[in-house]
Amino acid sequence: MLVLTRRAGESVMIGDDVVVTVLETRGDVVRIGIKAPRSVQVHREEVYRELQAVNREAASPDDAAVRAVTELLRPALIEPPGD
Amino acid sequence: MTTRTASRPIGAIMTDAALDMPTIDMAVPMPGFPAHREFVLVRLNEDGLLYAFTSVDDPGLRFLVAPPEPFFPDYAPEIEGDVFAALNTKDPDRLLVMVVITAGVNETTANLMAPIIVDRDSRRAMQVVLSGSDMPVRAVMRQAY
Repeated sequence: MLVLTRRAGESVMIGDDVVVTVLETRGDVVRIGIKAPRSVQVHREEVYRELQAVNREAASPDDAAVRAVTELLRPALIEPPGD
Repeated sequence: MTTRTASRPIGAIMTDAALDMPTIDMAVPMPGFPAHREFVLVRLNEDGLLYAFTSVDDPGLRFLVAPPEPFFPDYAPEIEGDVFAALNTKDPDRLLVMVVITAGVNETTANLMAPIIVDRDSRRAMQVVLSGSDMPVRAVMRQAY
């Protein structure tokens, strides 16, 4: 990890297109502004990590799971007796 | 039973007459899946309640997605201008909202925090992260309304 020290109002450039600016610091909270092209997604790390995890869990469900979802879509049917 | 099962041959899935639209390009790839840039939306349910968002690069990768309205009638995600720019959107009313489903035998949940937004005209899509909202990534799904 590259470590830099900045004061409020100072910035860091990442590549040609991303600028991270320290807007203000107040106690242990830092407000950060980020300028990036719209193809670069910027999110709080914990939010993004959770989203990656949920997407991976959701990816390619097995047949039993797909059947379970299909059941959700079906209004409850009464099975005919003696089948 | 008219719902398709998971084990159709790839060729049938790709040329399925039930496909609503051809290839969808990801303006931004789905978090966790940066290599997958093109998807197709395969309808799995004749009422349009369930689709498989299937990777063209690897059809083994697919996400079950659903329109949120039948399950979460009050869900109204705010889609901002930067999404319209990313998707080349001319008419916001033509945007399709789908939520990704985490299917489980015991519990099935939907990701309300990061819906997939598809522009029907530009055929571009992205998973929009509604950060700052309190939306759950795992909202329990019950019977359709």
